[in-house]
Amino acid sequence: MVRVEHKRGRLVFHIKDLKLEWAIEPRYWRNPLLAVGGLALLPIFFSGRPDMLTLITTATVYACIAISMGWQFVGIGRLNFGPQFFVGIGGFTAALLSIHLGWGPLQTLPIVILMGLIFGLMLSPLTTIAKGLYFSVITLILPLVFLEFTYVYTGIFRGESGLSGIAPLVNLGMVKLNYVVSCYLSLVMMLVFLYIVDKILRSRIGLYAAAINDDEDVANTMGLNINKWKIVCYTISSAMIAVTGWFIAHYFSTFAGVTYLPLAFMLKILLMVMVGGRGEIYGSVVGAYFVASLEKGLTALGPIHHVLFPIILLILLFTLPEGLYGLYRRHKYREYFPTIRVRKR
Amino acid sequence: MLLNMQNVTKHFGGVVAVSNLSLSIKQGEIVGLIGPNGAGKTTVMNVISGVYKIDSGKIEFDGMDITNKAPHEICQLGISRTFQIPRPFPDMTTLLNVAVGVLCGKHRPHMSFGDALLDASHCLEFVGLFGKRNTLARDLTLYELRALELARTLATTPKVIMIDEVMAGLNPAESLRAIKLIRRMIDEYHVSVLWIEHVMKVIMEATDRVEVLHHGEKIASGTPSEVANDPKVIQAYLGARYA
Amino acid sequence: MLDTVQMVVIYTFVLGSLYLLLSLGFSVVCGVLRIFHLGYGVTFVAAVYATWMLMKEFGLGLIPAIAGMFVIQCVFTLVVIYFPIIRRYAEKEELLLTSLLLVALVVEEAVNYKYPVMAGVNIATTILPGTLKIGAASIPNQMLIAAGVAILFTALFVIYLTRARSGLVIRAVSQNLEAAQLMGANIERVYALAMILSVIPPTMAILVMAPIWSIEPAMGWPLLQTAILVAILGGLGNIRGTLWAAYIVGFIAAAVAFMVNPRLMGLATLIMVVLVLVFRPEGIARSESLW
Repeated sequence: MVRVEHKRGRLVFHIKDLKLEWAIEPRYWRNPLLAVGGLALLPIFFSGRPDMLTLITTATVYACIAISMGWQFVGIGRLNFGPQFFVGIGGFTAALLSIHLGWGPLQTLPIVILMGLIFGLMLSPLTTIAKGLYFSVITLILPLVFLEFTYVYTGIFRGESGLSGIAPLVNLGMVKLNYVVSCYLSLVMMLVFLYIVDKILRSRIGLYAAAINDDEDVANTMGLNINKWKIVCYTISSAMIAVTGWFIAHYFSTFAGVTYLPLAFMLKILLMVMVGGRGEIYGSVVGAYFVASLEKGLTALGPIHHVLFPIILLILLFTLPEGLYGLYRRHKYREYFPTIRVRKR
Repeated sequence: MLLNMQNVTKHFGGVVAVSNLSLSIKQGEIVGLIGPNGAGKTTVMNVISGVYKIDSGKIEFDGMDITNKAPHEICQLGISRTFQIPRPFPDMTTLLNVAVGVLCGKHRPHMSFGDALLDASHCLEFVGLFGKRNTLARDLTLYELRALELARTLATTPKVIMIDEVMAGLNPAESLRAIKLIRRMIDEYHVSVLWIEHVMKVIMEATDRVEVLHHGEKIASGTPSEVANDPKVIQAYLGARYA
Repeated sequence: MLDTVQMVVIYTFVLGSLYLLLSLGFSVVCGVLRIFHLGYGVTFVAAVYATWMLMKEFGLGLIPAIAGMFVIQCVFTLVVIYFPIIRRYAEKEELLLTSLLLVALVVEEAVNYKYPVMAGVNIATTILPGTLKIGAASIPNQMLIAAGVAILFTALFVIYLTRARSGLVIRAVSQNLEAAQLMGANIERVYALAMILSVIPPTMAILVMAPIWSIEPAMGWPLLQTAILVAILGGLGNIRGTLWAAYIVGFIAAAVAFMVNPRLMGLATLIMVVLVLVFRPEGIARSESLW
């Protein structure tokens, strides 16, 4: 049964024989509230310019993917080089359901989550069977398999041109209002993702994830069921990435596999994680906004921006050991700062 | 009979690491396991804790058959081990290292994360590492790493602890401290111990019974003084001339 | 029926030899430096476009341009890829792989900026124009020559690795790094030599196939995909395995193209990689060394 108590400034939940504590510490609420307030004012500030609103929305969506990745790579102990596979799954599910069955975004969302969980479950044995480097290579290739699939079954997936006519996210009559409301929705989604992943990483599940990342064989001999927890982390974070695919499909009303499945998109996300703050979820938000604005800002320079963009990112990758977030905040000594391990020796 | 290995054999390809070995530990006993290098002692430990699957034979623990069970299940039944080269979680603090053991080692009803950290602090205090609870495990000295290994095994509330060469690399003062610590562990937590060691002095003084392995087979078994004077053991260590 | 079998056999041979040449460099880097060189696509792009640039901007003939391109390739590999990236991030693999991918992207975008697809880049390396008719199959002569060049090069490689002294040192380093170091091998030089060696086969491949395959700035990626496929199937870094794997992949590509559906060729090879990686990631080869 569920019992809730409040003692010593924390809420204690007793669910059957599981005891969960939630410390209520108002003194740490200042920075998060400031950040949320700032983010809430952003769409209003740019309400007259749909291009900036689209920039903010896409940056927020990329940040959501990066946040889920931040949990995933710790929880499975391997680097997933193909998160865009699940973006494709979420996007195509939402697109196909919306086009052929006429469903709106709220109706496609549960199915998208379900498909994300199913595919995550189907692919999760990879986390237990494949060792580090081979897992990275398999996940590198999976989205390309998916892309070939969309080219082969071009009748369903409309390979090159993509599916269009997906029900929009919000439809309030005025186009400008649509953009602002969609932007707010994306910010809400990002805050929900941040909250969920942050709480998870600070709880015992985060401890298990850290143990799996650091040394999974030792964790196994200490009683941690690594297969179960790897599958759980992988499945749920993949479902979260599928939800971002859902958002992209409904926001742009079109979804083309060729935009989101090839290597370039993965590289962008990976760079957001690395340049933002090596593996830290708040750093990935910073990284996402930075990379998106950099891309947009460089377009003013003309076609040379295609060359300058990766060069600048390469320089940042070399020079900043802890990413951009590291400039703001030095991570404390006893914080868990995961080492991203690609190859397990 | 707490832990009972019967006729266990393990090959690695063509190499027979453990051959038809039968070992048993009674409740509250301290059993030493010695043998020259390459005798298969760590393989025995790996086999009992479930890291390797055995080719034939049976392992029983506390009346239950644990042959070929997964390592985490074996740990939750009450067998813990240390590692010859200490393997902590390098990026986590000492406290969190032990907390993993507390939370995973056994099903703990009504234990929240904070309670687990408290329990971990108790284990750390027992081995004398409470002052280093916020130090990252990669920054510990060798003695502290060994103590951390012992704290982690205690955290899982085991009935049998398997200790793998805990004296290697420690200077004499640290060795004495380690022996006293293990003695205290055995007295206060009432665990049975399977102790792999190379330092003969420790084996002679601290153990009740000694088993000797050579090329994966048991060649002698008995009290420490019996084993020390057994010609087969002397031949295995020093050669036929001294037997 | 016999016709399709004939086509499949001939194209297995031709495609297999081509894939072998493509992945030889990747296997060498994998086997000696033990890294996954995700920036391998750069060699293809750089080969073609450096030659074109030397011919167009500096007015060199074909052969001097190719020679100059080799020099540029070697310098680029050492100065941009080996020293700053591989030596620096040998331990931090996530940074290594990301930076290699980024370098490949930078080169591709730079080439796209200077010579976009419409610029009509072509390298006239056709040695024997026309097609040859073998039974019912007709195959461009250039492809047969490419297959011949591939086999010749692989043979040269193997002879070098087994007979030459530096080849022996390379094989030793790929088998056991510490032992080779203890016996006096200069690891830095061996690695640099291996990187330069890895540049030669893909350059030859793309030079010979330039008249047949389309030349565009993004052509490095599908070729990288094939190289990864063959290298993984053959056991990362083992040339014997790569030999077998190239012809197996060539067979699957040819069989699917002629007997099932040409559009499924890419998908079939990709699915095969995934299956190999899941069930037998060590690949065909039994040993961990280069030969």
